[in-house]
Amino acid sequence: MIAAVAAFLGWLGVSIIVLADGRRGLAVGLAVATTGLAAIAWQEGDGVAALIVMGGGAAAAVLRYRAGPGGWVVMPPGSTPRLILCVAGGLVALWFAASVTIGPDGATRFAVLSVVGLSGARIVSSREPSSVVTAVATLALAAAVATRLGAGSPGLVPYVAAALIAAGALLLPVRVADAF
Amino acid sequence: MPSDLATCLPLLIAAAAALGLAVVMSPARISRTALLARGGTGLAGMVAIAGAPSLDLLVLALLVLAVLHASLPGKRDFSSRLQMPVVAVVLIVLALVFARVQGPELLQRLAAVGIAAGLAACVGLLPYIHVLEPEDMVAVSPTVWIGFVGPVAATAILVRARGLLSLDAGTDLGAMLVGLGLVNMLWGTLAAWRAESSTRAWHYSFMADWGLALCGFGLTVADGQAAALLILVSIVFGRLPLYLASRQALRENQSADRPINLMVAAVLAGSAPFAGFAARVLLLRGATQMSWPLALVLAAGMLLWLPVSLRLGRTLGQPRGRQALGVGIVIAANAVVGLYPLPLLTLASR
Repeated sequence: MIAAVAAFLGWLGVSIIVLADGRRGLAVGLAVATTGLAAIAWQEGDGVAALIVMGGGAAAAVLRYRAGPGGWVVMPPGSTPRLILCVAGGLVALWFAASVTIGPDGATRFAVLSVVGLSGARIVSSREPSSVVTAVATLALAAAVATRLGAGSPGLVPYVAAALIAAGALLLPVRVADAF
Repeated sequence: MPSDLATCLPLLIAAAAALGLAVVMSPARISRTALLARGGTGLAGMVAIAGAPSLDLLVLALLVLAVLHASLPGKRDFSSRLQMPVVAVVLIVLALVFARVQGPELLQRLAAVGIAAGLAACVGLLPYIHVLEPEDMVAVSPTVWIGFVGPVAATAILVRARGLLSLDAGTDLGAMLVGLGLVNMLWGTLAAWRAESSTRAWHYSFMADWGLALCGFGLTVADGQAAALLILVSIVFGRLPLYLASRQALRENQSADRPINLMVAAVLAGSAPFAGFAARVLLLRGATQMSWPLALVLAAGMLLWLPVSLRLGRTLGQPRGRQALGVGIVIAANAVVGLYPLPLLTLASR
């Protein structure tokens, strides 16, 4: 049950990132996705990894909350395609995790697929640096959690690297294109 | 030393040498310190990619490099420069998931598709060609991916992917790489020949070389792997520094038909005795072992390098001073690697 709720939080968080354009919306989305991903790591018995994911994601969310386009701006006009993307992406990930694949870790598969797919779609479809960087942070954390699907123990290195990327990406001064 | 790092070692050495040469050859108006800092960061990232103990960490290192590269000031904005490298990261992470979960055999094949597509997106090959802004500095352009970081990243990804995929999926990956290689080879040579802008022609010529490298990787014989390594070395310490040397002449719209231009054309075309020639011989030998019609197609495709290379050789203009020295070093190094490729291949196979 906890794993299912954690996976749902992961999808919900990244969906908010896809749907929001303001710094508050992006920060909340990042915090929710981080909570879901950390809970998956925790639920699978790796408390330290969960704390690292939580630390990196929380730091990134705080940094996003402090800088970026103002307000929440969740689902601005014209965001119907994004909403459809979130729902369709979630359904495809659910179908893959629950029906195509077998074995334990179904929640991890769903969370990883939905977060990686939707954050990738956000990065490719957006021109606004703050939303792109927020999606990069989520993508890094999901890529680290994906290591749990492997046969051996991944150790803590991927989590530490992902947490540093998540927080570091938000600290990076992003410049816009030079004027001609 | 991890064997994966050893496989990439010749490429890392070539990249370090290319960076040193770029700093020496750069015109005074470009800050050498900034070039060294950016190139050094890229080189550090490449070492991290080559030495990463798992494909997961490799992907994270790739993501860091992509974000750092996209954040450099340039004509194109941060988001659009980050798109293709992120597509690569997403595809490779999905491939890792497909390869690791339990399910039908088809998942392993999807993982192979993800690896091949992610590799093409990372480097900037068809069907994921990175958008080139000819006025951009090389350090912030897609040339970094196709000529500097890409060779190490692709080699490291493929070396690690071999241990991840099943035998059948590995064979499928090889076939896909050969297919991608042929398409890029033909597209790259024809586009480089017909492109109006010489800067774009140079970019397409990198794609053509990559086509040969992918064919080499796709052939599951030692000759194919050796050919791929030599072609990548000739990209990093041949085509890339020669492109850098031609930038000033490209800006000033100069061209020349002096002996040095013909020598450069010979290096770019993979003529004897340069590194490209040894690579082509190994590639044809490997392809003949696998399937002689493939060798025939490759041999016919290799002829397309001639007009392209003559065109690109002219764009070098008349190099003088430091640039002439740099071009001379590149020609000499390519001749040495072409005549004695064994030390390089031994270094990679340790």
